[in-house]
Amino acid sequence: MTRYALTSDPSVSVEVVSASLACCTLELQVALSSGALTRVPEGDVGPSVIVIAGTVTDALVPSVLELIHSYPDTKVMSFGACATSGGPYWDSPPVSKGIDQFVEVSTYVAGCPPRPDAFIQAIQELSVNGAL
Amino acid sequence: MKHSFIALIEDKCTSCMLCVRECPAWCIHLDSHTVDVTDEGARRPKKVNVLDSFEIDYSLCMYCGVCIDVCPFDALAWDEHRALVTTNREDMLLGIEELGPSGSS
Repeated sequence: MTRYALTSDPSVSVEVVSASLACCTLELQVALSSGALTRVPEGDVGPSVIVIAGTVTDALVPSVLELIHSYPDTKVMSFGACATSGGPYWDSPPVSKGIDQFVEVSTYVAGCPPRPDAFIQAIQELSVNGAL
Repeated sequence: MKHSFIALIEDKCTSCMLCVRECPAWCIHLDSHTVDVTDEGARRPKKVNVLDSFEIDYSLCMYCGVCIDVCPFDALAWDEHRALVTTNREDMLLGIEELGPSGSS
């Protein structure tokens, strides 16, 4: 769990928990190290977001929910088509058809995978909407 | 060109269904009807498809561009919209109006 602030607007900072389940997480890592976000020293408290990045299979659902519930008051971001709707695996029986069947999702980011700047944009919009 | 958004140029679409059938994620929905058009001097009316609805479900779309490649009439094109970020999953289903190319409206 690491705290990041927008380089363009350091007043917006967010703790990022990454649920790295599949290839979307690579784009997320690029976003986190792209320079558009700056690491904030640990110790600060503030809003946090858990990013579900990748395919959520039915077998993984309990583990993912356990991870989400271990961070109370954390916003859930559905990052990419798989986490949102099952994506290209929408007709595959062992793949869940969206994490929003199980938990409340604050933001959906479209893409397969979404581009890194889509993550930055999602953080900006969460902050504008007062969700952070 | 960034794979950021797929825009529909409605006037060019002939409702041929190629994009719908070739989409690997099956994320395009299209509805149309046929009307008879009689040109002046023609011996019989010709059938013309009229597009009723065209939707891309961006919660499924892989931004692979197969629909753009396969369209024989260039009715679909990469566009410079910003990335799609929504708070509701329903908002990711975009219709004809929302799919228009940027700068057109």
